[in-house]
Amino acid sequence: MKRRTLLAGATVLAATPLARPHAQKPVTIRWWYHFDDPKMSPAGLVEQFEKQNPGIKVQAENIPWGGGADYDTRLYTSIIAGIAPDAAMVKFNNLPRLMEMDALAPLDKQIDAWPGRSDISEDLWKLHRAPDGKRYYLPVQFVVLYLYARQDWFAQKNLKLPATFADFEGAAQALTGGERWGFGLRGGAGGHDHWCSFVLGGGARLEKGGLVSPEALAANRWFIGLYTQKHLFPPSAPNDGFQQVIGNMKAGRTAMTIHHIGSANEMTAALGDAITAVPVPRGPQGRGWTTFGDGSNAILAQGSNQEAAWKWISFLSTGEANVAFNKLSGQVTVTTSGAQHWAFQPQRFMDATTASLPIAATLPPTPQTADFTRTVWPQTTQKALLGQITPDDMMRVFEKHFFG
Amino acid sequence: MKVEGRALPWLLLAPALAATVLLVLAPVMETLWLSLHDVILYRPRSRPFVGLANYLALLDDPAFWESLGNSVIWVIAAVSLQFLLGLGAALLLNRQFAWRGIARALVIVPWALPSVIIGLVWTWMLDFNLGILNQVGVRLGLLDAPVAWLARPDTAMAAVILAVVWQGFPFFTVTLLAGLQGIPREHYEAAAIDGAGRFASFRHVTLPGLAPVIATALLLRMIWVANSLDLILVMTGGGPGTATQTLPLYAFLRAWSGANYGYGSALAVVLTLMLLSVVVTYAVRSARERSA
Repeated sequence: MKRRTLLAGATVLAATPLARPHAQKPVTIRWWYHFDDPKMSPAGLVEQFEKQNPGIKVQAENIPWGGGADYDTRLYTSIIAGIAPDAAMVKFNNLPRLMEMDALAPLDKQIDAWPGRSDISEDLWKLHRAPDGKRYYLPVQFVVLYLYARQDWFAQKNLKLPATFADFEGAAQALTGGERWGFGLRGGAGGHDHWCSFVLGGGARLEKGGLVSPEALAANRWFIGLYTQKHLFPPSAPNDGFQQVIGNMKAGRTAMTIHHIGSANEMTAALGDAITAVPVPRGPQGRGWTTFGDGSNAILAQGSNQEAAWKWISFLSTGEANVAFNKLSGQVTVTTSGAQHWAFQPQRFMDATTASLPIAATLPPTPQTADFTRTVWPQTTQKALLGQITPDDMMRVFEKHFFG
Repeated sequence: MKVEGRALPWLLLAPALAATVLLVLAPVMETLWLSLHDVILYRPRSRPFVGLANYLALLDDPAFWESLGNSVIWVIAAVSLQFLLGLGAALLLNRQFAWRGIARALVIVPWALPSVIIGLVWTWMLDFNLGILNQVGVRLGLLDAPVAWLARPDTAMAAVILAVVWQGFPFFTVTLLAGLQGIPREHYEAAAIDGAGRFASFRHVTLPGLAPVIATALLLRMIWVANSLDLILVMTGGGPGTATQTLPLYAFLRAWSGANYGYGSALAVVLTLMLLSVVVTYAVRSARERSA
């Protein structure tokens, strides 16, 4: 009887996967990413992860960004075609659309059980909660937009670095002249970040009626007037994109512009100590608004390797790996431990980033947001800058776009 | 044997026909089908049939009419300037001169470059602050001050047309040069004996000799230019405002950036129907040439 039991036990054991250590195939996960600098490769991180997780292979796929539109549309079409990656880098502005497609796997259980959770600040976790209360995004990088300023020019004119809109306008006026302009406005795609700082910071609100309130209209009239009436931005501003705005600043054509720490090394390489950064100025009511540039990883619901995908994306958001990741992406680590020994950009730019956090926000995660930033904002703002429509008409277009 | 004889051409054509059906006809039918539905990319479960609603909506869409107007300017200006420049270059390259072989090879360079590269090159050449055109123009006294060529609605279209003319004139040059070499020398000799000068020779020998080539090249180029959006997308994105937004770019922005594939498809179908008249003219012309 005893012998029979032993034999039966051995048979059962032999049939289980545990008895065949080589039977399990390695899992390959596909991960979509984008870095601003296409020369940067995550191969080192992949190698490190695969060594730690021998059963998992990571196929990192660099997807063209195209101002966000290319990346997002490719992601949507891959989901519809049923060939979505297992995990992908994502941003807030595509969260509502991805949720509407039921494309994301909720990560609440994994995040709650994850040891790295406490190394990411509660502020970031709050920002990363979806409108339905769940968490689909795992933060991996962030930036906060600040104001670049030519401190040498400010010193020559005995000007203080701007803290308010009045300071900003005064400085821009004082520093405009000849072939030099006070502020480099990005009027092309992606320039909504500049506009938000001055118009949302000046009293407009992204709620029904909030873009056509008297405060909102006044703030927008003032901002557009800086170009149309006071000529404080270069004449090319309506069409200037990221490259032009940064190029003008590096070439000594503009005294101020708005961007983030991702361009700090490029700026200091061109201008050295002459360039510094401060939080974007605040409006007349002391209100401020600057763009929180988020970057997260998400797991796609249709993938069959969600456990392995979680291991990969949580690895990227952990301590040293996250620091290495952000060295590649040119943005800022989301981990508290990583921030303590952050030394990839001069400290003054990190200080400006940190000091900007209290007024950092994102545009509301609605299905209209992506189209607003890509098409509606640049086309409408350009028309207002060129005097083809009034600043008030411009705000009415935005109100209609968001709230009907 | 007879059946075999009839089947043979079809058999030989089958791979090309299959590829055309698969890669051209099927996407066209799919676009037509999409245009009759309300297709928002991020709402894959909801694709209601809306009939002609997308087509009716574009009749009331000011952006459609503006884009159509821009397309007409874009095609007429770009193709006619490319043709004139290409014809001039072809006539020059048809003459005997030192290093002619190198000149003929160099003229093809703009045609060989990718549109995106050309767009970037011209964007920086026309840049307000750092562009060479403004620098040279101001230093030579041709300009009082730098001009924001791509940011002004009165110059942006001209600037993108300039870039596409530079890109596209070699097509005319090469095509017309081939045509010029096909005109028998005796015709010029006969014209000279009859007392024809240079202009008369050009008018009565060269132009009639080139006419079939010119017609074909103009038709082909019109179709290409009308469909092209890459150069505008890179240089202005359709701006400032909508000053350089042509119909294919508008369709692209609505479908690709706006995720509205139903409306974007309707715009594409309308553009296709407009171009179909040119395509039919080209096809009829080709058939006539073959039968002749």
